Amino acid sequence: MSPGLFLVILTLFVPVVAFLFYFAGLKAANIAGGVINTSIAVLLYFFRPPVGLFFVDFTTWVFIMMVTAISLLSSFYATRYFKGSKMGIKEETFYLLMALFTTSMLFSLVINNYGLMWVGIEATTISSALLLITDKTETSLEATWRYLVIVSAGVTFAFFSIILIYYSLGTLEVSSVLAITAGTKSTPILKIAVAIALIGFGTKVGVFPVHTWLPDAHSEAPSPVSAMFSGVLLPTALYVLYRIFEIDPLRSLYVWFGVISVVAASIFLGYQTRYKRMFAYSTMENMNLALIGFASGGIAGITGALLLLISHSFGKAGAFYSSGNVLKATGKKGIEDINGLWNSMPMTSGSMLLSSLAVTGTPPFGTFFGEFLILYNLLTLHYYIQFVIVLFFLMTAFISVNLNVSKMIFRGESDYSEPDRVMPLISMVSSVMPIVIGIIFLVMTIEMV
Amino acid sequence: MVDVQYVTLVETVLQYFFVVLFAPLFAGILASFKSKVESKKGPSIFQPYYDLFKLLRKETLLPEGSGLLFKYIPYVAFGVYSLISIIIPVLIPQPIYFTASADFLGGAILFSTAAFMKMAAAMNSNSNFSALGTSRAISFNFLSEGTLITVFFAVSLITATNNPYVTNHFLVANPLQNVSLDHIFATLAFLMLFLYETGKLPLESSGLQELGMIEEGLNYEYSGKLLAINKWGSYIKQYLLGSVLLNVFLLPWGLFSTYPLFFLDVPVMILKWLLLIFIVIAIETTLAKLRLFRILDYLATAFTFSILFLIFSEVIV
Amino acid sequence: MSSIAGTLAYPISSFILISAFYMQGQEFIRPMIRGQLIQSLLIAAVSFIVGFSENNIDFIILGIFIVFLRGALVTYFLEKGVPSKKVYFYEKKVDVAYLLLVDLIFIVIAVFLIYSIVFSSISIKSLIGNNGILVFPLTLFFQGLFLIASRRTTFAQIIGYVEEENALVLFALFLLPIPIIIEASVFMDVLALVVISSIVVIEKSTHERVEELIG
Repeated sequence: MSPGLFLVILTLFVPVVAFLFYFAGLKAANIAGGVINTSIAVLLYFFRPPVGLFFVDFTTWVFIMMVTAISLLSSFYATRYFKGSKMGIKEETFYLLMALFTTSMLFSLVINNYGLMWVGIEATTISSALLLITDKTETSLEATWRYLVIVSAGVTFAFFSIILIYYSLGTLEVSSVLAITAGTKSTPILKIAVAIALIGFGTKVGVFPVHTWLPDAHSEAPSPVSAMFSGVLLPTALYVLYRIFEIDPLRSLYVWFGVISVVAASIFLGYQTRYKRMFAYSTMENMNLALIGFASGGIAGITGALLLLISHSFGKAGAFYSSGNVLKATGKKGIEDINGLWNSMPMTSGSMLLSSLAVTGTPPFGTFFGEFLILYNLLTLHYYIQFVIVLFFLMTAFISVNLNVSKMIFRGESDYSEPDRVMPLISMVSSVMPIVIGIIFLVMTIEMV
Repeated sequence: MVDVQYVTLVETVLQYFFVVLFAPLFAGILASFKSKVESKKGPSIFQPYYDLFKLLRKETLLPEGSGLLFKYIPYVAFGVYSLISIIIPVLIPQPIYFTASADFLGGAILFSTAAFMKMAAAMNSNSNFSALGTSRAISFNFLSEGTLITVFFAVSLITATNNPYVTNHFLVANPLQNVSLDHIFATLAFLMLFLYETGKLPLESSGLQELGMIEEGLNYEYSGKLLAINKWGSYIKQYLLGSVLLNVFLLPWGLFSTYPLFFLDVPVMILKWLLLIFIVIAIETTLAKLRLFRILDYLATAFTFSILFLIFSEVIV
Repeated sequence: MSSIAGTLAYPISSFILISAFYMQGQEFIRPMIRGQLIQSLLIAAVSFIVGFSENNIDFIILGIFIVFLRGALVTYFLEKGVPSKKVYFYEKKVDVAYLLLVDLIFIVIAVFLIYSIVFSSISIKSLIGNNGILVFPLTLFFQGLFLIASRRTTFAQIIGYVEEENALVLFALFLLPIPIIIEASVFMDVLALVVISSIVVIEKSTHERVEELIG
């Protein structure tokens, strides 16, 4: 067995094994498992598994890195977040589902089969649905239900595309499908399959007309789960969508859907009154920007999309952790209800400010370089109209998010206190990561040049 | 050999008088048999004729404020039903005089015209009760008319012509076509429609309870001769729809078109009708009446079947 | 053999559609669950027919899967979720005529658009019958979608989802033998989803607009 294959199998089992240790009474096992899994993911960069049962290239590796890292942060954060609060499901159940959730995401990423990728995506829905009702309020139940019904109905639609791919190519192995289609001319059936996948998997990515579950689920989930959703679940679905897109690049269609979704997300961002919901729409915007990046292709587009996704996942996780801190300390969900975090919760307000700057693409955060590359790529493809539209709505989104966040932080005074010492630390670490990524990227680029 | 001209003339006359004169008989047989099944003594099978004669002798009273439409439309409607009876294959399975005047769709539209005129006449009676009956009839008819036209329209897709005679011949020649999916659906839809249009039980109890009446509500203000004509028209309509159901959908076989044999069509038609009467009695005695607003659901189901039929006949070759 | 299979597949598929219309028209939950059961069994029957006509053991195994997972287990979990005290558990304001008509319009537009635009331009060949048979799964899919959209009860929505999955299975049956491992995982997924949903059902059985989740 090659070391790469061993590592991949290990990474699939570590979350569940860690949970078993946790269940046996070792409370730190979850965090330890996360650390181990992240280290395995790092090692995977050097030891790739041979193409066969699994298919891991550089793009996949970036996604695996994201999943393991954000899972680690979230399970660490969750241990503090749920302390002292009443939970709708048992704490063990929560961690079990988190482990299954992580495993199913990793499974969808590494598996070398479109059919099983679909199964993996469906499994993420199943394992994550009950995480949403951790708070068990009327609204969270409703949000859970919408998430279940809309996403599973949409992903079901995507199975048509899997059937059509299998019908026209006779295989579902990602590597062989990509090898077959690389040189040949595309057929109408494959075009239809790829277009269906955009709506089907697009439901989970948050493409415009089928995004409606997204803000509900993100705003009603407990913060560690929101971070997982925003940071890694949606990118995982995007990864699967990208793999199908590669079969027959319908560039214009995908780019236009991405552009329309960015526009819609920015418009929705404008009138949000709850901060978690606002961050959810910001996620939608970033995902669709990454979709544009993948769809426009080329080195610049794909690098930009990957850079955007990985910095965004840390940044948005930071934003949701900060929101969790604020929610825990104040118990309020509305933007207008919260004033002057600056003097009472300095650490949290710092992380919140940083993360909101990160997710809106401010230099020197990694997201900025990602967005820059994607927009640059649009220009090189002569997509001028799309370029102008996206640029304009990125700016409006920047203004909406940062204005609201600075209102919460700098307006007036308050007498809240930080809920905990560790939680703000985690959110701060998560929010600083995009800067680190951005700087690493800059240094690497300069060295290469 | 007898001249073709005369054969066609005899056929036309035979069909017309058979339809007009025998239509009440089938209603009588139905009522009589139904009573027998329900262990009642039941009326004679000629009861509809007695009723018609009795009504024809009685004085005709016009409600105060009723108009011309109310007075004359019964005759016009009777005329429309007479016309339909000589343009569709209800007895003789080959074209006769007048056949060329309308096709399948034309027949459907003539049915709709008669229904519309009867409603207009009822509105013209200056009676609140009739107006109520009319609104009730209209609120159901929009679905039944749709079904009627869709079924007629769709059955023509089988042969790519909307000539009912061609369809009939085609079905006789290709027996397997009778168990094809689209044909079964169309038959089902048309049977459901037949039950509605002729006021049969799950939908309408044609007694004197005003709660259950749809068609009867339109006749409410009529008396004497006009009522007789209206009732006669209804019998003819029932016969026509039933015969279309039998000859085009259910049992297209057994009819003759050559010279002396076509007289046999009369007993054949009566036998076929007996079968239909048994089907109707089986339905009427086993089902309870639907609540009034459930009738819409029933008709929507029939409509659904007819549209499905349309889809299938279009897609499945 | 193949032609007999084709002849059999058409009426069974149309009964599948009729079962979908039946479910659409029900107010009460239990008859809907039974309708789903019948639909699944009919699909299993199609699977057996295709299996015998193609001499392919995969379809037979698939049929057995459908009978056990869809027919038995999904029905069991749904039945278990119905409140046992409320025998007459039903959804108010189900206007059957309206629903059937809107359903029809929806199907006719959706299916005919897809069928006439997409399927006429690509060369696709079904295993049995002619290509027209692919209309059945497409119609069933949109019926499931409409069932989800038109109802407020959790149950009806789950059943709509199961109906969609049935449509996928039927589509795959008519087109090609999907690897059995994938089909099996798909079935397990759906089963798990139904189980998860039945947990949510216990908490919340109807769905109305929620002020906090608008915008």
